[in-house]
Amino acid sequence: MAELFVPQTLDEAVGFLESHAGSATPIAGGTDVMIDLRTGGVRTEWLVDLSSLGSLAGIDLDGEQLRLGALTKIRALEVDSRLARRATALVEAARVLGSVQIRTMATLGGNLCHATPSAEMPPALLVHDAVVEIAGAAGERSLPLADLFAGPGRTTLEPGELLTAVRLRIPASAAGSCYLRQTVRWSMDLAGVGVAASMEVDGAAIVQARVALGAVAPVPLIVPEAAEAVVGSELSPATALEAGARAAAACSPISDVRGSADYRRAVVSILVQRALRIAWLRATGDWPEGLLAPINGLLAEEPA
Amino acid sequence: MRVELSVNGDLYRRESEPDLTLLALLRDVLELTGTKWGCLTGDCGACTVLVDGEPIVSCLQLARQVEGREVTTVEGLAGNGALDSLQAAFVSNGAAQCGFCTPGMIVSAEALLRARPSPSEAEIREALSGNLCRCTGYNKIIDAVLEAAGSRGAAA
Ligand SMILES: Cc1cc2nc3c(=O)[nH]c(=O)nc-3n(C[C@H](O)[C@H](O)[C@H](O)COP(=O)(O)OP(=O)(O)OC[C@H]3O[C@@H](n4cnc5c(N)ncnc54)[C@H](O)[C@@H]3O)c2cc1C
Ligand code: FES
Ligand code: FES
Repeated sequence: MAELFVPQTLDEAVGFLESHAGSATPIAGGTDVMIDLRTGGVRTEWLVDLSSLGSLAGIDLDGEQLRLGALTKIRALEVDSRLARRATALVEAARVLGSVQIRTMATLGGNLCHATPSAEMPPALLVHDAVVEIAGAAGERSLPLADLFAGPGRTTLEPGELLTAVRLRIPASAAGSCYLRQTVRWSMDLAGVGVAASMEVDGAAIVQARVALGAVAPVPLIVPEAAEAVVGSELSPATALEAGARAAAACSPISDVRGSADYRRAVVSILVQRALRIAWLRATGDWPEGLLAPINGLLAEEPA
Repeated sequence: MRVELSVNGDLYRRESEPDLTLLALLRDVLELTGTKWGCLTGDCGACTVLVDGEPIVSCLQLARQVEGREVTTVEGLAGNGALDSLQAAFVSNGAAQCGFCTPGMIVSAEALLRARPSPSEAEIREALSGNLCRCTGYNKIIDAVLEAAGSRGAAA
């Protein structure tokens, strides 16, 4: 049995975690922690309930700067119409996470800090160059999201540190993003492969692009060389194919019940091509604003 | 540790273990056994209740975390002992076989109908995707929700 500590301020939370390092675990939505406690994956004397720290929840969009509080519910991301238009990958990732019940409870910070390799939100945030804000007894710091992940279930947070927010840039125009995933079942399944892509377009040329992968390496991956394959021209089947091949080469999937390593690599290549295409259609205004893509990105008119 | 909880409009004060789940509190302490104890891993939805009108799985919810908020269980839907229109539609459509998933299904569907009074079939499937039925009666469950939406729309 764990005791419960309910801090009313961030300072109180951080102070308690610091003075109880090794024996206290934060709990936000609890959808991971409660299971870890039950299975014995986590043993702790204290649960530190973050849910009273209301200031850590919220979606703030100011021009091109988006700030998401760590306690923001996945459901709140899913139903935000501004994000559907401007940061579609985030909404496409949020809507496939668990069930309505799970999304209503689960927080963004919990999804990142649990560091599950197949977690939905990291790839979608990585393609927006997300930076995480961290509070600890020694003060605040920030780091690129990619540097938060240390391995399956492990982050680079020091004992006592809390994630407070995620900051990202979402371009106001001529930009598009997309998150797709492959699963064995359509819902209530973890990603076999998760892929996010984003790009900015000037005239008919892609001037900046990002590709990120989930579930195919010990940590979520950014693949710069895949994105570089499409920069400098309009998106063509050939440049998308090259990006897909580079992404497949960069990942290191395992074989498990959700697919063999070879299958996953093949799926990475396909999903990267589809995600780039949809991001391109969005960036060039050829996609209905706010309309989400099919979960696996398969479009009816796509050549076989 | 003391918890103070509002369930179906009634305020309860109880001594409880600090890490007690809402599900354990509802069933074992308050004896509201309509909410079912299924997988305990958030997968099956049999333990679904509403917190401030939003559906959650009570097996992963610490009771203490919902203090000051309004919890609605399946027992809170029927008024004065009479089934509400959604419950009645489950009965008339034969949408329960063993009935174990039914309270969770009804609570999830209730949350949907409050947010979207005239949902499409796809929206119903999505809203119920976190509720498993081992007897595989999904079609009749969806028929029941569609019928309830229709009858509520007609009554409004
Ligand atoms: C049935 C089911 C289906 C699921 N499906 C999916 C899915 O499809 N995709 C997916 O990605 N995930 C899925 N999940 C996993 C889970 O719901 C998410 O990872 C969720 O976002 C975790 O958030 P939480 O608030 O519940 O975290 P919690 O369980 O409260 O915490 C998770 C971890 O993060 C730590 N933590 C939480 N907040 C902070 C913070 N601010 N600072 C530092 N540490 C913190 C906790 O100590 C803990 O280690 C599923 C879970 C269940 C039960
Ligand atoms: S008992 Fe809670 S989801 Fe199965
Ligand atoms: S009716 Fe038996 S589980 Fe659904």
